[in-house]
Amino acid sequence: MADSTPLTVSPAPHVGGLISSARLNWSLALSLLPASAWGVFLFGFPALQVLAVAAATALVADAAASLAWGRAVLRDGSAAVTGLLIGMLMPPAVPLYVPAAASAFGIIVVKQSFGGLGRNWMNPALGGVVFALFSWADAATRWLPARGTPAGTAAAPLAALRSALAGGAQPTGGVLSALGARGYPWSSLDGRVVSWVNVHVLSAVGLSLPGGVFDLLVGNIPGRIGDVSVPLLMLGAAFLLARRVIRWQVPVAYLASFLVAAQVFGGLPMGRGWFAGAALFQLFCGSVVLGAFFMATDPVTSPLTRGGRVAYGICLGLLTFLLRYFGTPGFGVPLAILLGNCISPLLDKIARPRAASPRKAVVQ
Amino acid sequence: MLVGLCPAAAVTGRVIDALWMSLGMAFVLILTSLSRVILHLLLDAPGSAGSGSRESGLLGSRWLGVLFLAACFTASFEVIMGAFAPQESAALGIYVPLLAVNCIVLERLADGSPRRAIQENGARIFRALGAAASRGAAFAVALVLISVVRETLGSGTITLFPLGAFGGTIVVSGISAAPARALLFAGGGFLCLGYLAGLVRLAGRLRNRRPRAAGEAGAQ
Amino acid sequence: MLQHAGQPARCLVRPGDKVQEGMLIGKAEGASSANVHSSIPGIVTRVSEVPGADGIASVAALIEFGGEFDRTGKPSAATEWEKLPRAELLGRIRSCGVVGLGGGLLPTHLKLAPGAERRTVFLVANGIECEPSLHADVSLMREKSRQVVAGMRICQRILEATRMVLAISESSREELEPLFREASGKDELEIVALSGRYPQGHEDLVRKAILSRDSLSNGGAAGGGAGTCIILNVATLYAVFEAVVMQRPLIERYVTVTGSAVRRPGVLKVRIGTRLGDLFEECGGLMEPPGKVVVGGPMRGISVASLDFPVTKGVAGVMAFTRAEARPGFALPCIRCGACVEACPWELVPTRLNKLVERGDVTTALAEGLSSCTECGCCAYACPSRIPLVDTLRRGKRLGAVGDHG
Repeated sequence: MADSTPLTVSPAPHVGGLISSARLNWSLALSLLPASAWGVFLFGFPALQVLAVAAATALVADAAASLAWGRAVLRDGSAAVTGLLIGMLMPPAVPLYVPAAASAFGIIVVKQSFGGLGRNWMNPALGGVVFALFSWADAATRWLPARGTPAGTAAAPLAALRSALAGGAQPTGGVLSALGARGYPWSSLDGRVVSWVNVHVLSAVGLSLPGGVFDLLVGNIPGRIGDVSVPLLMLGAAFLLARRVIRWQVPVAYLASFLVAAQVFGGLPMGRGWFAGAALFQLFCGSVVLGAFFMATDPVTSPLTRGGRVAYGICLGLLTFLLRYFGTPGFGVPLAILLGNCISPLLDKIARPRAASPRKAVVQ
Repeated sequence: MLVGLCPAAAVTGRVIDALWMSLGMAFVLILTSLSRVILHLLLDAPGSAGSGSRESGLLGSRWLGVLFLAACFTASFEVIMGAFAPQESAALGIYVPLLAVNCIVLERLADGSPRRAIQENGARIFRALGAAASRGAAFAVALVLISVVRETLGSGTITLFPLGAFGGTIVVSGISAAPARALLFAGGGFLCLGYLAGLVRLAGRLRNRRPRAAGEAGAQ
Repeated sequence: MLQHAGQPARCLVRPGDKVQEGMLIGKAEGASSANVHSSIPGIVTRVSEVPGADGIASVAALIEFGGEFDRTGKPSAATEWEKLPRAELLGRIRSCGVVGLGGGLLPTHLKLAPGAERRTVFLVANGIECEPSLHADVSLMREKSRQVVAGMRICQRILEATRMVLAISESSREELEPLFREASGKDELEIVALSGRYPQGHEDLVRKAILSRDSLSNGGAAGGGAGTCIILNVATLYAVFEAVVMQRPLIERYVTVTGSAVRRPGVLKVRIGTRLGDLFEECGGLMEPPGKVVVGGPMRGISVASLDFPVTKGVAGVMAFTRAEARPGFALPCIRCGACVEACPWELVPTRLNKLVERGDVTTALAEGLSSCTECGCCAYACPSRIPLVDTLRRGKRLGAVGDHG
């Protein structure tokens, strides 16, 4: 009866887990959507264009390169995720050839030229972004103003802080008050919310929040398309952690070491001494959260072993802090992660689990 | 062979720089090669012509002599270039003197190639000349190709030497407004080098697929 | 003739010979060998080399059914084994061809043979199914509790074991109520419930769990160090009971028949030598032409190319998968996600071992623990790129073994 139909013969095991590469990538893409949607909401049509161009170029480039190199074409969704990430790392008003070049470079050079899926030694999204934004340096600062702020005054908070410090400001209060004193344009909504909270809630306790807290928390600041809204990014990250798409070791180690470093050492350049850094401010500005949860956790470029991952996260946190203060503004996180990518095989070697000793015969 | 192309990363920012560099390379290569063969012919005992690859007693470190020669020629080229093309000379900076080292490397590699049967002196000289010239030409082609790509994409121009009415710089219209400056970094140079090497390999592989006459060696 | 680990038995019958149920047809030969008995009465039609489901061929006697069953369905006498000397107990086990039915297939009389000096001997009955989807052992424990416990006590007597432990999986606790009732009152038999998560049923992991529990509860037993732990599968214990008390040779076993293509999956009591296809028919047949048929369990079983293989002593389960479930053939490149590292119960790094073996560097792979791999399949199960890790590691182990022995 059944002998006439051919049976599949293949090695054990004969069942597989539910997680497949395609599923992993779809989950990633899904988790990035809330933050990208916010970026589009905030910055309008230009942001949508950038995202679309980046994703489309990545897909086309991946398909073309896979064909040229004779590999499986678009089997899993990794090109789409790379494209989306590249789009999210772009300032919203960049000319469209920038994300296109970034995607093309990231896919063709960083990923496919080095061996395709699983063989890149550098994060393709970050490689592409760094290439593009270093190539067209003026594009790196094409910010758009946040909602509710006057047009033409856009500058990312971190950059504004740097220029404030460079201008010799001696902030007496916190970082935000320093920015406010220099006339940093927080939105009118922020002004209303913060003053309401100050009056009705905090005055009882005797505290007062500086202007800008609401804007920062919610993500209504000029910045890259995908990294402005920390709460939405955290939402996506929680989704990924729950589905076990990413593991917690890298992001937690990264953020913890970054926050500690920022808090302990962050005040020094501002002349305010130890333990006086603005750790939370640093957290909500720039791409730290995006980097920690979505880019440092890229499986190909991060260590395999648990110990390696923790060490990697710590290195990244410290590197990010250093590069933020001493490196090219706006490139702290991307460059730190790229440097971390370079040492991650080394970290794996150091932290490899001890293999069990060879089994002895059971019967004595 | 790729080792000799290391300076390519630094000097291929502009086409004119690459041209001068390859000119210098060819100059030093040819002269050094020629002198080496002549010295060998003059100083080795007749009849022991096949012993060119061994270090003989008289020129104990034969290579020390060759290095000295290469250095002399390089220094002369440096002076010549400084006279005729001061701007490019400044741009190339340290890489011109380093030509000496480069040539040593290439000469060393040359000696590894299998020797043919003992030939008469004239043929020897021609062979040495031919080898050096071809190596210089290959170097030139590679450098110019890389520099064309890099300069076009990296600064939107192609810089050649002025000739009559021609100002010397071709501006590539589309790209010059916003060129990809990252290619002008050293990393960009190595990337171009790598892709060029890859293309050469690919070409060789494609060529090998077609039926060939027996005995012909494949392209490198 | 080779249904056990070791050397094949020598076939005693020729075509044309008449055999009875339970008659000896293969005599054990060699240091590690076991007797083989006919499971049905009839006439031998052919003696030839037949491939087993695992691909290893051995001599087999094809018997056509005929005549009467001597023992099945007829009342049989139970001997009082407590009065027998140990040597006699062992002798009965040996002559009945009892082998380890938990997968190792080691002839049981060798496992129970008195060894060198003995410290505390734990006799552990492994009642945890070795693979997910298999259920024969639990069914056996439930239905033949008395016999299993008796078999255990026989082994205890032979080994002079000081502790008897029955390991079961937490999830089968409810089902095994009859067993608990049978075992209660006999203080020496401890029942330990372990997590049923695959591959807990593996001998080494059971041993590890039992010994670590013991040292925890005793706070470091007096006498120093861990005791020797002899582990026997419950099906083996049942066969021991049958051999010693009922003097029945090993001619049948419980087999789980399951899989999405089977109409009525269940546990069957099967005569050794039955054709695989007949098992499926007995379970209501296959609902559709199967995509894959696996002998064993889903994680370590062997997929076969036809249903014409015989059930041997080592067949614990048979599964039929639908075509939709038969895994796709392509594998994506490794994305270094580390899922295999987390899944491996032996703390190996399967992706690295896989890469080393693929490259041909078996020496380094062995140095990094390749020989600890038990081919449990957890790594390949977890791999999102569907890389056939077990296959490569198995290949590496074979290459390594060849290298070792020249």
